[in-house]
Amino acid sequence: MKTRQIVIGLISMAVFFVIFVIPFILVLLTASKTPAEAASVDFTLPERWVFWENLVETVQTRDYQLLLAYWNSSVITVGAIVGLVIFGAMVGYVLQRRDTKLTRGLFFMVLAGLMIPPAVVPTIWLLQGINLFKTLHGMVLIQIAYGLGFTVLLYRSFIATIPRDLDEAAIIDGGTPLQIFFRVILPLLKPVTVTIIVVQAIGIFNDFTHPLYYLPGAENVTVQLTLYNFQSQFVSQINLLFMNILLITIPPLLVFIFFNRQIVAGMTSGAVKG
Amino acid sequence: MADVVLTDLRKSFGGLEVIKGVDLHIESGEFCVFVGPSGCGKSTLLRMISGLEDVSSGRIEIGGKDVTRAEPKDRGIAMVFQSYALYPHLTVRENIGFGLSLARRPKAEIKEKVDAVARTLQLEDYLDRKPKALSGGQRQRVAIGRSIVRDPSVFLFDEPLSNLDAALRAQMRIELTDLHAKLGTTMIYVTHDQVEAMTMADKIVVLNGGRIEQVGAPMELYDRPATPFVAGFIGSPKMNLLEGEAARKMGAREVYGIRPEHLVLSEGDGRWAGTVRHVERLGADTIVHLESREVGPLLARVEGHREFRLGQEVTASPAEGRAVLF
Amino acid sequence: MQRRSPYPYWFLLPAGTIFFVLFLVPTIASFYFSLTYWDPFEARFAGFENYVQFFSEPYLARGVMNTLIFALLTSGLKTVLGLLLAVLLTSGMLGQGLMRSVVFFPVLVSTIGVGLLFQELMHPTEGAINVALSWVGIDGPGWLTNPSLALFSVALVDVWRGVGLATLIYIAGLATISPDYYEAARIDGATRIQQFWRVTVPLVRPATTTVVILSLIGGLRLFDLIWAMTRGGPGFSSDVLASTIYKQYQAGFWGLSTAGNVILFLVIAVVILPLSLWFNRKEVDL
Repeated sequence: MKTRQIVIGLISMAVFFVIFVIPFILVLLTASKTPAEAASVDFTLPERWVFWENLVETVQTRDYQLLLAYWNSSVITVGAIVGLVIFGAMVGYVLQRRDTKLTRGLFFMVLAGLMIPPAVVPTIWLLQGINLFKTLHGMVLIQIAYGLGFTVLLYRSFIATIPRDLDEAAIIDGGTPLQIFFRVILPLLKPVTVTIIVVQAIGIFNDFTHPLYYLPGAENVTVQLTLYNFQSQFVSQINLLFMNILLITIPPLLVFIFFNRQIVAGMTSGAVKG
Repeated sequence: MADVVLTDLRKSFGGLEVIKGVDLHIESGEFCVFVGPSGCGKSTLLRMISGLEDVSSGRIEIGGKDVTRAEPKDRGIAMVFQSYALYPHLTVRENIGFGLSLARRPKAEIKEKVDAVARTLQLEDYLDRKPKALSGGQRQRVAIGRSIVRDPSVFLFDEPLSNLDAALRAQMRIELTDLHAKLGTTMIYVTHDQVEAMTMADKIVVLNGGRIEQVGAPMELYDRPATPFVAGFIGSPKMNLLEGEAARKMGAREVYGIRPEHLVLSEGDGRWAGTVRHVERLGADTIVHLESREVGPLLARVEGHREFRLGQEVTASPAEGRAVLF
Repeated sequence: MQRRSPYPYWFLLPAGTIFFVLFLVPTIASFYFSLTYWDPFEARFAGFENYVQFFSEPYLARGVMNTLIFALLTSGLKTVLGLLLAVLLTSGMLGQGLMRSVVFFPVLVSTIGVGLLFQELMHPTEGAINVALSWVGIDGPGWLTNPSLALFSVALVDVWRGVGLATLIYIAGLATISPDYYEAARIDGATRIQQFWRVTVPLVRPATTTVVILSLIGGLRLFDLIWAMTRGGPGFSSDVLASTIYKQYQAGFWGLSTAGNVILFLVIAVVILPLSLWFNRKEVDL
């Protein structure tokens, strides 16, 4: 490495530190402060570290609401992902393998679905009509509907790299369409499935807008909405608010550490082909 | 064991007809090779027999049963693909037993059959490996094993050797011929390589532009090609084909053909005078490229090693009774 | 008779049903409901009244303008900064792997979390940003309390949060450019700046397409960050279409809210469709 690259590297790291790291350090510091100290979010170290006390208090707030929120968010995330992976892969498979007017039209709709903003109030009206408003399974189905575009797009382009010979070998081996899909194709989709699971899980876990509309009610609270509740309740308790931010950032952070490569693959999938 | 009968078989993609009426009878137990240049329809024809491709019109019978509209699995066929199409996520054992497992056969039966096939193909040591840990030849054998375990009445091979290097290809040709001798099952084999066709086939079917040019035993095609296309396609180096005036002078209506080994080269008098342009010394024989003033380029093949100089003037004469006239 | 395809259409049914019922039906219904006076109790046909109101009421029209300003600003900044950062982070300098992770991490953090965090950091007197500015003698503005500044402050935070994704996409795009081009350009005597404009920028265009379109769609639809930081305030100064839709829904004006939804849909279509056609046409010329 040339001196130049080291110097530029050091300067850049300093700038990056100020812009991207300090805000997170402030979260950590503020979450460790007493309410009085936390009233101004600045660069001082806490006089008294009350990190653990704040954590306990945040979790206990509103009768352990955060735990309920974690449970609800997990149910929604897991349920939606199972549906997205299986149903999305089936769609991507047929759309890629079968080139007809119908599949081309459907693919266009998938692309349109990536762009069109959901019509929220009519969706609420419809969810009420089929008794899915304010229900976790309704939310799961909504997240599936909204996540399908991205999922199908990724699966479709990955399936294009799987030779058709494999399907045909399985046809000759006597496989039914379902057997071929579940025993030959789906196992081969593992790399892209991991990417989809990771990217969608983060998206659904972090989703605030849709639970806000479709899942009101204290018993249905999701992790992002706990913050929203805190904001009104703890105007002067910024320490707890920041503790809560910290607590709900842990799952994405873990995913980021363990699945960095898959996240990058998923999020940049459009860059090469355009 | 079954024979295969194709009757006026046709196939169109969109408006384009790619198989233009094929009639063919492949005898039970025969090793039949479809050969032809790329795009001649040979693979499509094989895929129609397998059931992977729909038939536009005509009829396919296997073992006396009309299977034109039958599902692939109900035709009693097995197929070896050019890419081998081994399931990358399964071990060799699972690959070979996959069809049986789909049919929900008992585990013991699957194991027994897979083991028997593995013995036949000397794959016992590799049963727990994944395909990517195998060499090209081993993968080829697994693909064959997967077809044997189905106990088919007809084997279909779609250019199975084209991904192998030359030495391995020669070895696999022998192994496949041995396998055919051992199993005695009808085999249909597609290739663009006329050497494979000549060395392995009981019967060769030469296809061109979606039609059959000629059907026959290898030497029949070699000695008595029915069309100039077959004459030019079968045999290496290629047969010399003279057209127009030069052909008519030799008594042919349109095309006069003479194989390189049937041209006698001499320094004295002969039929065509020419200049040596290029010499390929192969050891066992020598191939001489001549430029004749009268008929243009000619290829001659001479046994053993004979010295020719570039630019040397020689004459070439067709051996008696060896020419093919069209 | 056609034999059954190994790729049966019924594979499309589970996903298709969910997508149709929960996405397409409401989208189609929104066109009707946007033409009604609609509240939790009834829907009466109103013609284009909602649309007229949307463009005549200043506080609603402001939202449409703000949406466009916000999307263009954030998309432009993300594209330019993303490309520059990507070039910087592929130059082989010290610590570039670490910095790639650092710049990308905010993408994964909850938007609401980021919004609330910056709401505190941007506090006019006690926030960290103005505290830091005061050290160098600058009297920091009321980032979120000044009506003419609030939208831009939120836009800055959106860029802070989203530039990592743009950078990542550009890094992937840069990786597809063969080093041969740079070597050829150097042999032709191109300076670094010339290499950037004549080689990098044209050859990284597929990535630019992705970044511009993704960030425009994201910017036009943005709701959560605005809601967390300003709730459209002060007044209506930082309202965008998405926040207006929510406010009108909460106020019980469902028809008006749905009209906002349809307008958002049309705005996105009008901005994105010509743009992607234009990008695609240029792609062919390459």
